[in-house]
Amino acid sequence: MAFVKKQVTETVSEDERKQNRDCADLLVGLADANATTRRWAARDLVDCPGSATALVERLKIESEPSVREVILTSLTKLGDPSAIVGLVECLRSEDAALRNEVVEAMKQLPDDVAPIMQALLNDADPDVRIFTVNVLESLCHPDVEAWLIEVIDHDAHVNVCATAVDLLGEVGTQAAAAALTRLKARFGDDPYIQFAADLALKRINED
Amino acid sequence: MKRILIIDDAATVRMYHRNILESIGYTVEEAMNGIEALEKALQEPFDLYIVDVNMPKLDGYGFLSQLRSEEIPQNPAIMVSTEAAIHDQTAAFRAGANCYLVKPVRPVQLLTHVRLLLGEESK
Amino acid sequence: MKTDAKMTQIDITDGDFEKFREYFYRKTGISFESSKRYFVDKRLVERIEATNSETFRSYFTMLRFQASGEELQLLTNLMTVNETYFVREEYQFQCLINSMLPEIIKRKTDQKPIRIWCIPSSSGEEPYSVVMYLLERWAGINQWDVEIISSDIDTGILQKARAGRYSARSVQYLPSHWLTKYFTKTGDDYQICQNLREAVEFTRVNLSEPADTRPYRNFDVIFCRNLLIYFDDVSRKAAAETFFDALNPGGFLCLGHSESMSRISSLYKVRKFPEAIVYQKSLEAK
Repeated sequence: MAFVKKQVTETVSEDERKQNRDCADLLVGLADANATTRRWAARDLVDCPGSATALVERLKIESEPSVREVILTSLTKLGDPSAIVGLVECLRSEDAALRNEVVEAMKQLPDDVAPIMQALLNDADPDVRIFTVNVLESLCHPDVEAWLIEVIDHDAHVNVCATAVDLLGEVGTQAAAAALTRLKARFGDDPYIQFAADLALKRINED
Repeated sequence: MKRILIIDDAATVRMYHRNILESIGYTVEEAMNGIEALEKALQEPFDLYIVDVNMPKLDGYGFLSQLRSEEIPQNPAIMVSTEAAIHDQTAAFRAGANCYLVKPVRPVQLLTHVRLLLGEESK
Repeated sequence: MKTDAKMTQIDITDGDFEKFREYFYRKTGISFESSKRYFVDKRLVERIEATNSETFRSYFTMLRFQASGEELQLLTNLMTVNETYFVREEYQFQCLINSMLPEIIKRKTDQKPIRIWCIPSSSGEEPYSVVMYLLERWAGINQWDVEIISSDIDTGILQKARAGRYSARSVQYLPSHWLTKYFTKTGDDYQICQNLREAVEFTRVNLSEPADTRPYRNFDVIFCRNLLIYFDDVSRKAAAETFFDALNPGGFLCLGHSESMSRISSLYKVRKFPEAIVYQKSLEAK
């Protein structure tokens, strides 16, 4: 036996991957029983403007991880308003894995999610607020530090504040120093907040 | 000395736990999500895992279920989460956690559980 | 008017170092020990000056938010050693022979060739190393056909790979009897033999272009080493998805030694073999 060469690569004969399919077919493929068909449909829908809503609806019920991952990549590449609305909806899902996947996707869309960040930071659900602070990490927005200061000054939930302090340790400037000190006083008996705020303050004061 | 793996995407949290554990002589390594943790655990299994729930790529539940399906020594894991809801605790134990702590974790609380799980109550 | 006495010494503080270390680890999975402080600082200062940044902070902000990701790519290049030579990261070829191929053969139900894809091809050292490993260390080569495809985006480098002429530096780690057997000394260089050149199919592929990668299917093993670390988050995730579809169920993906799937995608199962950690498309995945 030996090394062989064929005409470059396999031809794609399987019907799961028809070329030049139109968007309507792809939307049907998104609900196919075969996971590979769904995965390919989700990937090709990136070229179909307006498909974000259908992708989000599928995402909510899709159980095959490889299809979910491709749907999220396509939503990230689409990045249109309905993609954003859909991602935010999924942030409230009961499915922890989905929430984490959505945070990652939102981080890839910093400019598109920036306008809704403030509203999400005031969401009634502390988990949504924590996820929103996670998303802020990727945002190059002039107000990020001000939003974080607002969080550590006013958010009642210790874990939301803890997440914000973690990020201030990376992006914080002198402007955050007073708020960090106030936070230490507000959660005076919490050793983690003391540790994280001290670390952020140390870094800020070195600058 | 016992080796402990801290798995958390927040750098400050990893540092906080590291300081507590190193202060009494444990050897500590870090991973920032479940996949990196699996890579490290498969290279050389740890004596104990401290696992955050929410992480990118592979979360705490996913990490534990995969760890528990590997043919390596099945050492204890503490799951650490911001959520205190009962259903999260059930999910943690179902995934293979031996203990569930709610953040923020106090040093004494962490050390108590670590010693207990490592069978070192008297340390 | 200010005189030209600009020479302000850029100083990396402990906090700067920590912030950079955390960020770089988050993005690449590469973690620097404090003992590497001098190495890291030196390169950071070099890039801060080259980009005319005033301070570490302004440089760090640029690094984090630059839309093109170019600066992170440059810096990653500086922080990692990236050199191409024969049998580089040899443990993975050993893993191929001793662990991956036996597993692939065990579940093979037909006599079709075993397919291996090397991307990026670069100047060919990697695919030719695979060929030599298979010939020299793998008894299975007597029973199985193997198809090796090696792809790169750069047609110039593909020409070089097809030509197969290498410097002494590039072949320095090859066992001497392999060198004698498969190469001819030509002046200062080494010319790889015709049989090896014919064993590899070189093709041009842009990994980020779906139309290019679409026909690449049914591979048993993919080597993609020291490439994805230079891609931005979305592109490297998309590349991992492309490989997922290019692999047979149960197929293996090998990344470079400083790369980890933990920063790329959750599609793959982490597989630990005695020689290396590789990533596997699950057997159930269609």
